[in-house]
Amino acid sequence: MIRNNQPLAHQPRHLRVARWLKRLTLAGLVGLAGCATDSSPAPDEPLFTVPANFPPPTYRFQNNALTKEGVALGRMLFYDGRLSRDGTISCAECHNQAYAFTHHGHDLSHGIDNRLGTRNSLPLQNLAWSQAFMWDGGVFDLDLFPIAPIENHVEMDETLPNVLEKLRNDPAYTAQFKKAYGTDEVTTARFLQALSQFMLTLVSGNSRYDRYVRKEAGATLTADERAGMALFTSKGCASCHAGALFTDQRYRNNGLSLAFGEDAGRAHITEKPEDRYTFKVPSLRNVEHTGPYMHDGRFRTLEAVLNHYADGVEDTPNLDPLLKQTSSVTPGQSRLGQSRPGIPLTADEQTKLIAFLKTLTDSDFLTNSNFAPK
Amino acid sequence: MNAIQHIRQRSFGWFLALSLVVSLVACTEQSDPGALVIDPKTNGELTLEFDNVVGGTNLALGKATYKNSFGEAFTVDAFNYFVSNVVLKKADGTTYNVPNSYYLVRESLASSQLVKLTDIPQGDYTGVSFVLGVDSTKSASPVTERIGALDPGTYGQAVDMYWSWNSGYIFVRLEGTSTAVPADRNGYYELHTGGFGGMTGKTVNNLRVVSLTTPTPATVRTRIAPTIHLLVDAGKVMDGSTKISLTSLYKDRTFNGIHSPEAAAKLGLPDNQQGMFMVDHVHNDPK
Repeated sequence: MIRNNQPLAHQPRHLRVARWLKRLTLAGLVGLAGCATDSSPAPDEPLFTVPANFPPPTYRFQNNALTKEGVALGRMLFYDGRLSRDGTISCAECHNQAYAFTHHGHDLSHGIDNRLGTRNSLPLQNLAWSQAFMWDGGVFDLDLFPIAPIENHVEMDETLPNVLEKLRNDPAYTAQFKKAYGTDEVTTARFLQALSQFMLTLVSGNSRYDRYVRKEAGATLTADERAGMALFTSKGCASCHAGALFTDQRYRNNGLSLAFGEDAGRAHITEKPEDRYTFKVPSLRNVEHTGPYMHDGRFRTLEAVLNHYADGVEDTPNLDPLLKQTSSVTPGQSRLGQSRPGIPLTADEQTKLIAFLKTLTDSDFLTNSNFAPK
Repeated sequence: MNAIQHIRQRSFGWFLALSLVVSLVACTEQSDPGALVIDPKTNGELTLEFDNVVGGTNLALGKATYKNSFGEAFTVDAFNYFVSNVVLKKADGTTYNVPNSYYLVRESLASSQLVKLTDIPQGDYTGVSFVLGVDSTKSASPVTERIGALDPGTYGQAVDMYWSWNSGYIFVRLEGTSTAVPADRNGYYELHTGGFGGMTGKTVNNLRVVSLTTPTPATVRTRIAPTIHLLVDAGKVMDGSTKISLTSLYKDRTFNGIHSPEAAAKLGLPDNQQGMFMVDHVHNDPK
């Protein structure tokens, strides 16, 4: 069910159009239902599609071929609080679709008993292209990821064996496992791979920006948005937030002040001094809706983020070399004469950059009913 | 035939006497040279028995108090370790790699301490080696290959041997109470060793190979299934080539004994743990 390098089929220009089309289709179907007997069912939508402007995915689909029933099982699990100790916290608690599967509004994610984590939950999107997971890249396989939140004491505080036992005792689940895998056996691999199957379907590649770069009919950007796009490259943002995924998937220190608390970041995993304070470069897709920002959610707005790059970058250990350049400060820019690291950005440039960043919002992704609880 | 006829003609006492002889012959059958003939067509069995101790004393979880070389008293509340990639060495120097051999030995589960190797070529084995931990290839393998001892869905909190946040197995886990550990650490010491070298970045590799020779050969035959009885000294975790004092360890308030392969390596835990194993004896039991 994997279709490679093909554009998403039937992409409406606007959501409103999409909604009307849906209504029209529904009306048509209702009208036909009375008389049509020879109409063949509509072919299933592909479960996973690679947007035409994306690179090939890195997930090993050969180990976990997506099936309709497998994805359905994963979706059931994703929205089920029983994955947590007391039944209150599902995956969706910190990964809410409307906010590109983040914990909107929370700088640090809240888990069970309202316990507070140490990091801001990352969006779940385009996971088939992710080489490692978490801000520090500690998990290297999507199939192994869910064990971490399930067993984390401040997140779901449950054990994997307990979760599997709960599922084994629920006929609704054993039935769905049978549909997905042929037998009703609930195993670690089946459980985790079903969750992966659902998460892999969460592809965001149909923002206004995407349609513009794919030169789809009617796709336009405003002059400000185009100016922002040019700045995004010329100011070096694209050096790290690179390519169609808007991340180079590397670990970098972007000069966050340590006054908000020290988090070793990548060094938490590698235990190497040169990795201290580095974090995975996050994608900027749907960034309009994934706030607050940074690993600890310290910035509540995109304006605050850009202000950090313009005026707040601190020369902490392992600061990324790309942020150390200060020679490009030119007259008229805010930091003229200053020698601090960062990216010189005028207020106007910041406005345009933000206008561009908002073109990365993929409304279809944020509202796709296939991704919502059933 | 003649003998039976003869018995019939004699008294019951003679019958008893003969029965005794027959049964004696049966008992000595094992030492019959025929039983030691190697049948290359039929494979046999060999058991590795992991008998956990602390020094010269049996290991009793929770209750017994032991002392390390610094005189610090401690209990052992959990002692688990992975044994993998078992290789059996024959007297002639050839080796047999036991395929897909991954075992989790837990002091809390007696059955886990008897590792039965089946389908072993017959022969005289005089050495055994294994990886203490889970090799890097398997540590990075797809979830579908993580079955049996490697299935993180079977551990639970009490025997958790998997780091979910830093994908990898805990190779050796020793923990318990000690008066040498401060109250703000609940008087509880935890020494967890993991770290297979890293997947997305090079990290510390705390895997070690344990190689042992047996005092007498383990003779795997059609009718002999030997057991190599190993003593595993949990006390060596603290008192190996490096001597570890819990007092000085926990003086450092940031000491993290459970989540840091680097800390384990610096403490010398991997080498200490490599030295926990010795073969006590071999018994060549009839099957």
